[in-house]
Amino acid sequence: MGKIKKKGTSGNAKNYITRSQAVRKLQIPLPDFRRLCIFKGIYPREPRSKKRASKSSTPSTTFYYTKDIQYLLHEPLLEKFRDQKALAKKISKALGRNEVSDAARLERNLTPRIRLDHIIKERYPTFVDALRDMDDALSMLFLFANLPSTENVPPKAVAKCQRLTLEFEHYLIRTHSLRKSFLSIKGIYYQATIQGQDVLWLVPYRFVQRAGTDIDFRIMATFVEFYTTLLSFVNFRLYTSIGLVYPPKLDAKSEESGAELSAFQLENQGNAGQAEVAEALDTEMHSKAQAEADRLLSLPEAEAGTAETGDVQAEALTAGDEPTAVDEPASTTLDQFTSLDPNADTLLQPSLTADVYTASQLFESFTVFLSRETPRHPLEFILRAFGCKRVGWDTSLGEPGAYCSEDDMRITHQIVDRPDIPLPSPPLTDGGLDTDDEDGPAVARKTNERIPGRIYVQPQWVWDSVNAGQLQRADLYAPGATLPPHLSPWVKPKKGGYDPTVPLAEQETAAEAEADSEEDELEADEALEEASDGEEIEGVRGDEEARELEDEVIVDDGMDVELAASDDDEEDDILDTKAGAGIDEWGGFSGDEAGDVDESTREARAHQAELEAEALGHMPQSGKNDAKKQAREAAQSKRTKAEREALEDVERRKLMMPRRKRKMFEKMVYSNAKKDEEAERLRAKKRKIEKQGGKPKAG
Amino acid sequence: MVPQRAGQKRKVVEVAQVEAEEDNGQLEIGALNGEFEGDGEGEDVVSEDDSDEGVDEYDEEDDEEGVEDDDELASDEIPSSEEGEEDVRQQLQDLKTSNGHSEPAQSLMGSDTAKAVAAIASDTPVKPFDDDDAADMPNYTITTDANGNPRYIYGEIDPVYDSDDSDAAIPGNTIGNIPLSYYDAYPHIGYDINGRRIARPAKGEALDSLLDSIDIPEGWTGLTDPATGKPLELTAEQLETLKKLTRNETPGDGYDPYPDMVEWFTGKGKEEVMPLSGAPEPKRRFVPSMHEHKRVMKMVKAIREGRIKPYRAPTEEDREREDAEQDFATYDVWATEQSRPDHVMNIPAPKLPPPGYEESYHPPPEYLPDDVERQTWEEQDEEDRDRDFLPRDHAALRKVPGYEQFVKEKFERCLDLYLAPRVRRSKLNIDPESLLPKLPDPAELKPFPTTCTTICRGHEGKVRSISIDPSGKWIGSGGDDGTVRIWDILTGRQLWKIKLSKEEAVNVVSWRPGPVDTCILVACCGETIYFLLPQNDLCTPETEAKSRDLLDAGYGYAATAPPPSKTSTGATKPSLSSWTRPPTPLQDRGCLLTLTLHTTPKTLAWHRRGDYFSTVSPSTTTVSTAIAIHTLSKHQTQHPRLRLRGLAQTTCFHPLKPLFFVATKTKVRIYDLQAQRLEKELLPGAKWISSISLHPQGSNLLVASYDKRLLWHDLELGATPYKVIRHHSKAVRAVAFHMGGLPLLADGSDDGTLHVLHGKVVGDLMVNAAVVPLRVLRGHAVVGSLGVLGVEWHGREAWRLEDVVVCGVAA
Repeated sequence: MGKIKKKGTSGNAKNYITRSQAVRKLQIPLPDFRRLCIFKGIYPREPRSKKRASKSSTPSTTFYYTKDIQYLLHEPLLEKFRDQKALAKKISKALGRNEVSDAARLERNLTPRIRLDHIIKERYPTFVDALRDMDDALSMLFLFANLPSTENVPPKAVAKCQRLTLEFEHYLIRTHSLRKSFLSIKGIYYQATIQGQDVLWLVPYRFVQRAGTDIDFRIMATFVEFYTTLLSFVNFRLYTSIGLVYPPKLDAKSEESGAELSAFQLENQGNAGQAEVAEALDTEMHSKAQAEADRLLSLPEAEAGTAETGDVQAEALTAGDEPTAVDEPASTTLDQFTSLDPNADTLLQPSLTADVYTASQLFESFTVFLSRETPRHPLEFILRAFGCKRVGWDTSLGEPGAYCSEDDMRITHQIVDRPDIPLPSPPLTDGGLDTDDEDGPAVARKTNERIPGRIYVQPQWVWDSVNAGQLQRADLYAPGATLPPHLSPWVKPKKGGYDPTVPLAEQETAAEAEADSEEDELEADEALEEASDGEEIEGVRGDEEARELEDEVIVDDGMDVELAASDDDEEDDILDTKAGAGIDEWGGFSGDEAGDVDESTREARAHQAELEAEALGHMPQSGKNDAKKQAREAAQSKRTKAEREALEDVERRKLMMPRRKRKMFEKMVYSNAKKDEEAERLRAKKRKIEKQGGKPKAG
Repeated sequence: MVPQRAGQKRKVVEVAQVEAEEDNGQLEIGALNGEFEGDGEGEDVVSEDDSDEGVDEYDEEDDEEGVEDDDELASDEIPSSEEGEEDVRQQLQDLKTSNGHSEPAQSLMGSDTAKAVAAIASDTPVKPFDDDDAADMPNYTITTDANGNPRYIYGEIDPVYDSDDSDAAIPGNTIGNIPLSYYDAYPHIGYDINGRRIARPAKGEALDSLLDSIDIPEGWTGLTDPATGKPLELTAEQLETLKKLTRNETPGDGYDPYPDMVEWFTGKGKEEVMPLSGAPEPKRRFVPSMHEHKRVMKMVKAIREGRIKPYRAPTEEDREREDAEQDFATYDVWATEQSRPDHVMNIPAPKLPPPGYEESYHPPPEYLPDDVERQTWEEQDEEDRDRDFLPRDHAALRKVPGYEQFVKEKFERCLDLYLAPRVRRSKLNIDPESLLPKLPDPAELKPFPTTCTTICRGHEGKVRSISIDPSGKWIGSGGDDGTVRIWDILTGRQLWKIKLSKEEAVNVVSWRPGPVDTCILVACCGETIYFLLPQNDLCTPETEAKSRDLLDAGYGYAATAPPPSKTSTGATKPSLSSWTRPPTPLQDRGCLLTLTLHTTPKTLAWHRRGDYFSTVSPSTTTVSTAIAIHTLSKHQTQHPRLRLRGLAQTTCFHPLKPLFFVATKTKVRIYDLQAQRLEKELLPGAKWISSISLHPQGSNLLVASYDKRLLWHDLELGATPYKVIRHHSKAVRAVAFHMGGLPLLADGSDDGTLHVLHGKVVGDLMVNAAVVPLRVLRGHAVVGSLGVLGVEWHGREAWRLEDVVVCGVAA
């Protein structure tokens, strides 16, 4: 016999300690513990056995991993926290003695500076680890960048967040690593791929954020403090990796006037001395050539695509000095694989915007102007991230940084978000080279009229083009047009799930389709009925019959088959002579023959009904309708039979499962059924909408 | 002493009255005193002798002098009642003035305690009367003692105030140093020096407390002196002392806590005159240190060279610069990055899922909620909602409002990140189909029964048992109507019928196994077992003759058999069974032999050769006769001594070995009949076994139980079942292996279903038996919570037939 083990010395009892125990062990107050946990990324655990983990009789709720807490014991931050506490005591003592200057001096000189560098290194040993954890950091910092400064949120923190996020966006623009974006009701989602890591974050719309009273900004501030440190290190790494100097120079004056992205001046590391005002200079130099190209572009349908304007691309490529420019665009673009067999598994394909090349040239050849009602910042960011170098906007959206004004004739696309813009009233003057003169159109044009020679689109066009990886038809997004639905690029179509992009007919199950067509027919019948009064009786009869038959089919679905095996029973049933009902307790077996019997029964019944109808003096049903109905019924019965057989088989196999496995199986089936139900609900809604709309909408 | 005499019930009032009268008229006192005297002394005697008898004597005296009292009272009180109002006032006055006197308190106390107190305290107020008159009277009284001699009883000696007895000056409580609370239950608080009870001083109840509260006497503290039980009073000085003590001050006046120090050894005029050492002052006390000089010079040099900078208070600019430096990273943390292997306990926070279609600002219309969904969402509690927003449609981007919950959602995410307990859960992302076990296709396992081919109708009430004859042509059945019927297996036609009993049901029907040349059906009805030879030309004359021979063989044997064994006392054992020839009418109808037991057999199992069969009568009280083994050829019945520990349920014979299986309620025991010992005991774990079936090869046993289970025992594997199958929702009544060589088994249950299973037993020991469910046969009506009562396989073919519970009239 082995040694008797003492209780509470190993396993769950030793591995976990409660929060109060942890706080006592670290000898810090709870708020400090909270901060420490946030900084160090320490989180409670769910022990496998709560009962064993808790030593006290009262049920504890939060457990920490003991080694986590042990590891906190050596944390240099702990010392800082203690210093801070000591300083607070000193200051309060000084203030108590009315020595205000002393207190101020103490605060100035002794306030410990908390640095989180070592924690960043500890928590994220590699850069990729840090990128993996950027989702929450970016969402949080973008939120704080858009928050108004209050006493809870100091203006300095907001400014810092703004600066860091803009720097990050600059990196994305530079490397064209933004991949997808989505306009949701919560805000705008962006997804970028940096060093193979997908980073997804959410930026709120620019409205004053409502913060309820139940929000503790101290906790959020602690997170923000950590995240700012993280993002600044990430930015440093990202900037240096593409040969830029970090931090980039910030033009304070233009920043104040609302320049946002263009307030930054990125410098190359080699020639750190001279500021690189790449975009502005380039565009200035090549404005003439660009204008020519744009004119050429705008002459045809303009959305003809990028293939035709090869020369323009080449020019643009040489013009902008791109450190990451791709030499062989043809070799890096991805081919689209389409599976020929619908039953085969579809491989997950990288999206079209997965490569830098597509991203960098999507809007490259365009000059875009943003009307004053559009959100400038997201549009500017997304357009520039996808290759557009010339973005102009209304002066009301911020003076500096705009490429051109509204009447500039180089503009190829104007993004508007107004109900409609009337076409210019006078007949179109030939917009050739003459219009390049600045004074001409500015005088002639009325303020609220379209300027010829450019495409007016709604903002959604940009997002849908980005997500699709190619330019969308601009006429669908014209001002005032009803927009096509904006779809999330992250939803993967699942088997059996509802996919709004696919027409309904392709995804609905056979049963649904049948029910649908039946319904249609019923409706048609009704319509017919209303139309012709003379055939009323027939119509009604037909309906009744159909219903009757339907009922029977439903009965067949159950495992207990009411229909008896012998023929005379049927006779009994049909002739309504139920004399022998009392005798017959024997229900019959649910057997293979049930389905076959169904068939024969149905035929017999149909025949019987016909005979009856004849006897009553009605005309027999029109053959065409009947044939259709019969075919449908046959298919239905076949399907129900197959379903029933499958169900029986599953039941049989379930009998041989251990109980635990069976429960798991049932759970899975349940959850799958729930998903199917949801998909079915959506399909039903879609069908309804289609019917109401009259014509089916293209997905 | 009027109060005592005049009856205790009115005592309270009367005491006051007497006193009032004393105040009013002096004259009456003398007259009354004479009477008082004797009584008072009598009382004294009583109180001194034995206080126990005191009360009795009071009563006697009251009785004797009751009449006198009445007279006196009448004469005294009538005048006083005339001026009643005045009297009452007077009494009230007295009550108020008589401070600390016990009597007023009585009126306020509860009646019982008041009486007791009065009894105790009666002495004290009476004393003065005695003293006044004691001068003239002798100091003793003469009574007769128990022997009839005169006895002198002396009165109490009252030491006068200036007596030299110094101890008597303290009329204290003598209980000693014990808490006063010990006397809480008593009306007194202790004893005085004479052993008399000290009455509890009146507590400040009701009127007293009211009066006390009106004018608080000086020095009143509201406390009770624990020594005396009286209210504690403190003087102003005492209070002052207490106050000082509580403040940690010196209690008395004139105490100086800080007296001047008296210098004894130091101070002026007491300096040390002589130095301790006579050595001269060292030089170092006058010359500057070279070492220090060197160090200073080093510093000077460093300052001149600029290595040490004098402290300069940091300016605002410096600070700002520092801050700015801190704000932005100035170096690459990951310059020397080294990946760390992931630890099991490291659980990264789950990422938020990407948004779906319904979150779009302009989703497809089918994602928008209709009115019902919207309402349910709004009515739901925030925690119950499956998503935290309601899909909305905005025709244009400019119409999208700000999302109100944004900050809250981010805050909650923060809370989740650092407060939510994390746990690693492996998510099963597999097709549920893959969990289902792979079973062979039932089509491959054919043949097995799928359909009902024949229904035999005719029995009234339940059919309890069926049996298929060895040739496979007929079915024998017996039921509640007391008949045994034989049916044609193919057509379901009734071929023969015999009514065995009017009241009792036929419990078991069983064909004798063995070669086809005999045709004997055995039926158990009540306590009798009938051996039937079916008539109606069912069997050929040869078989009939052979069957008759077989049944008759035993008669001769019985005749030649030794007489029944005798018990130790010599008396013949009453035989428990009798093999008899039935009466002729019964013989004509086909019953050739009857065996009567004294118990009702419920099951019957044949040995494969057809000579032995066993019956079980589970309802018997004596376990020893529950199981019987009968020998047909000898007309003999034996009751093997099995020492079962439970009620026997059913039995069966091993087909190849001389083994005998007996199932009790919870166990199956296997006996070797040759060696006459217990071979093995199986523990199926069932609560109540209903039936058992042995595989034709004899290596596997099926046990059906009323607790809904079917248990498969591999006899080579051990005592516990190899497989437990629970498919039925009600009790399993019967189970049967196919005996004709097909790997099939069937069980019938009270839920009205029959399960046909494939159970292949392989000769190879390494391969376990495989059980595959094949078919569920439904259709039996369940009557009175009874479904399928028995299952029987056809001998050669894969037909399966079962008992049918038939109710109603036969068609």
